[in-house]
Amino acid sequence: MKSKRPPLKQIRMPEKLLISRSHTTSEGNKTGSWRYLMPRYYEKTAPCSTTCPAGEDIGRVEMLNAQGFFKEAWETILLENPFPAVCGRICFHPCEMVCNRRQFDEAVSIRSLERFVADTAQRYKLQSALQPASRHKEKVAVIGAGPAGLAAAHFLYLLGYPCDVFETLPEPGGILRWGLPRYRLPLDALTPEINRIQQEGVSFFCGKPVRHDFLESAGETYAAVFMTCGLGRMPHLHIPGEESAGVSGGLDFLRAIVRDAPPVLSGTVAVIGGGNTALDVARCARRLGAEAVILYRRRRQDMPAFAEEIEMALAEGVELMELCAPIRIDPSEDGLRITLQQMKPTTLDGDGRIRVVPDTNQVRTLAVAHVFKAIGFEAAEPWHLPPGEPENLLKLRHAVLTRPPKGIPVVYCGDPVTEIQSVVHAVASAKEGVMALDVLFRKGSRAITEELSAAATGPGGALSMECFRNGERASRSPHVVAYEEINIDYFEYAPRMVQPRLLQSERVASFTEIDLKISASMAIREAERCFNCGLCNQCDNCRIFCPDLAVLREDSSRGRRIEYDYCKGCGICVVECPRNAMVLEEEIDS
Amino acid sequence: MKQVLEGSHAVAEAVRLAKVHVISAYPITPQTHIVERLSDYCANGSIQARFLRVESEHSALAVMIGAASTGMRTFTATSSQGLALMHELLHWSSGARLPIVMAEVNRALAPGWNIWADQTDSLSQRDTGWIQLYCETGQEVLDTTLMAFRLAEAVNLPAMVVLDAFFLSHTYEPVDIPAQDEADRFLPPIIPRVQLDPANPCALNQLSPPGVYMEMRHQIHQAMEATLGEFTATEEEFQRIFGRRYGMVEAVHCEDAETILVTSGTITSTSRQFIRDRRTIGEKIGLLKIKLFRPFPVDSIRRYLKKARKIAVIDRNCSFGAGGIFAQEVRAALCGLSRRPHVFGFIAGLGGRDVTLDTLAVIHEYIQTHDRPDAESIWIGLQEV
Repeated sequence: MKSKRPPLKQIRMPEKLLISRSHTTSEGNKTGSWRYLMPRYYEKTAPCSTTCPAGEDIGRVEMLNAQGFFKEAWETILLENPFPAVCGRICFHPCEMVCNRRQFDEAVSIRSLERFVADTAQRYKLQSALQPASRHKEKVAVIGAGPAGLAAAHFLYLLGYPCDVFETLPEPGGILRWGLPRYRLPLDALTPEINRIQQEGVSFFCGKPVRHDFLESAGETYAAVFMTCGLGRMPHLHIPGEESAGVSGGLDFLRAIVRDAPPVLSGTVAVIGGGNTALDVARCARRLGAEAVILYRRRRQDMPAFAEEIEMALAEGVELMELCAPIRIDPSEDGLRITLQQMKPTTLDGDGRIRVVPDTNQVRTLAVAHVFKAIGFEAAEPWHLPPGEPENLLKLRHAVLTRPPKGIPVVYCGDPVTEIQSVVHAVASAKEGVMALDVLFRKGSRAITEELSAAATGPGGALSMECFRNGERASRSPHVVAYEEINIDYFEYAPRMVQPRLLQSERVASFTEIDLKISASMAIREAERCFNCGLCNQCDNCRIFCPDLAVLREDSSRGRRIEYDYCKGCGICVVECPRNAMVLEEEIDS
Repeated sequence: MKQVLEGSHAVAEAVRLAKVHVISAYPITPQTHIVERLSDYCANGSIQARFLRVESEHSALAVMIGAASTGMRTFTATSSQGLALMHELLHWSSGARLPIVMAEVNRALAPGWNIWADQTDSLSQRDTGWIQLYCETGQEVLDTTLMAFRLAEAVNLPAMVVLDAFFLSHTYEPVDIPAQDEADRFLPPIIPRVQLDPANPCALNQLSPPGVYMEMRHQIHQAMEATLGEFTATEEEFQRIFGRRYGMVEAVHCEDAETILVTSGTITSTSRQFIRDRRTIGEKIGLLKIKLFRPFPVDSIRRYLKKARKIAVIDRNCSFGAGGIFAQEVRAALCGLSRRPHVFGFIAGLGGRDVTLDTLAVIHEYIQTHDRPDAESIWIGLQEV
């Protein structure tokens, strides 16, 4: 490869490159004058937050979680729901059913994340920085310290009303303390939630049953009363043999377990009913060493119990007998014999449930050691329910507000007035009642409907305390972000986290909580799956993609703003926003 | 350290050794192996570079232009349609005087769809102001890529390292991979002459009216001419460290040759064998390999070819209506000579058709039996259609 070096032309590189280069600012060229479409930041409503009965700002909670701001995430929940530790465990999470991520891969595990922030707050003994919006003189009495009563006390605090809570039982908590088995809601998860409400300045008067005449004299001390007495009484089955020895109420059974005085069970236990309490009773019976069979007159898909609870009960060996109605109970040599009428489905009821009728002659018997009744519960006293149709009665979505002609306003909240009996509905009910009362006090009854609809998160009707108190997030649009409005180019498939649980074999061996804690890294990973529908999570795409550098960083909560002097209105920022937190609108010349 | 490497991976090794800062490319056969290997290197930390995924070759080169404007050392690779899609930005890169390095794997243009070797893609970009370096072997690919960075940065022009599809890109050969410290000695970090700096903001490449544009163009032309000298200086330094050099052209037995084959790329290797065979039977035949196509080394080409009687330029490309592109350039280079050889332009091996010793024998026989060519370009191996 040798070659003589050819003669070279003596050409040298010039010292200075000749390229056009200008140090004059181009700021004089205000390209904003070309604009006829105008982008702006416009946050919208996530489907989860409008579906959550408590209107929790879930998109924001997951954004904060993903950023590691667990305390702020916790406080964001607390503003809407005083029970993240409870709902993070036992809520039936309708939010997850509408999660846009379902159409991409799987819903975000919102409930597990709610529990995670609650666990974290508890572990580090965090103190919520939430403060009342203002202070008012009107003092309120709350009758009942169950989920609705406790939530009412919390929301009254947030709106600045002092309150006293009266409870018949020796400790506050209601169904949360006495009716929920510990494997679903351990006491050490519940206690801090109640303590926090106590620290908000609420006075509890426990072991103090309130009588009917309380309402008549309450006006001397209080400006309003909240009736949140729940449904505590077991209705009769109205079948022969119902009073036999060995037949008892399911709630009493659950209470006995909480009091550490469970009955001795053996053999097969029958549980009559199809609600969550029936399942809890059956699962507790399994834990006490009995076989459990649930007798339900309709089909599995008609059961009011939450599907996930049914699944877990069956996995624990609970047997489910569908379409069978007990028609009599007879004592036998070794226990009880239940006679069951086979049922068959016919047409739909008015409320959408299937109607069942006896399948003639199809009768059989079942030998059991014990029978627990766990059919729909009733109010313990008639005055726990709102009156029929008096004047000045305002039926809200989840609450009823009355103003007796001579007396103070009474607000009925919780299970007796909500369509679905769940903790999160009790929270929604209390929130609605407190807001309505506040409007009544401050602006009069005529303003209630309008003020409440202004506090709704989107069309779902869930009310938000953040919106009611006119916080920063109140400005979001009620438009619910659809999956098609998410720019999925910015998301990668990632499987939903798997909630770690006790081994199947360990579950029935004790009352230990089934769902285990998750790590912060797992929680952050899961929170990062959230699209943050309609919510600016400061991803900075708008700024990065702006061809005119017209998106500027600034020291504000959003962290950036559009410099309209230079924004040409090309709309790239809006298109590249992964989560529809911006809008491009035609600019009308004024 | 010697390794048996694919030509594509020889490129990737050189880019690794060059410690580039930014890589962007869009996959296209037969180039893909290059950037696949580089993306692996970026992912496993062998290279501390940003690898940017893009939606097209046009964007890939746009990324290079942006990155190079901030003073980064940049690399991209493409082929055929991808290069054609870059066309606008090829001009932009040289006009902006950015020393971007690109590996260009010669592949035929469609239609009909063809992924095999053909030089028309790179040669049709000859006027874009890019340095073009054609390679023959895996070792030359590695060495040339490394040299291309130094050369491009010396003259502030973009450089294209060109290799034949499959015959080179996918063929395994033993390649000596330099150690990193040696490579660093040869190729120090870039000292950019164009570098956007937020501390001293400026706008680049805006409106250049008639009063200034022509001088800017003249300077690019000057830089191209200076590249000839820089190329030799670069090779000398490379030889000093690694003991290898290639020359802008390589002459084999040209001193006394009556007939000289002119080749580029992998056809050269086959031609070496052909020359050797003919020399053993006493024929006065030579070979001139052209490595540097832009700038075109006119002086060297004249020097080696002027004494011969007949020149056979073998083109794996065609400028329709004008013939083989190397042949045109060689004719133009020789036309100023008072006594000049006859230049035969042969077109062979388009779309990856193999150019074998038999093909060369056909070319050779044509030259032996003709005093001068019958046509501007003579197509070899055409089948009856």
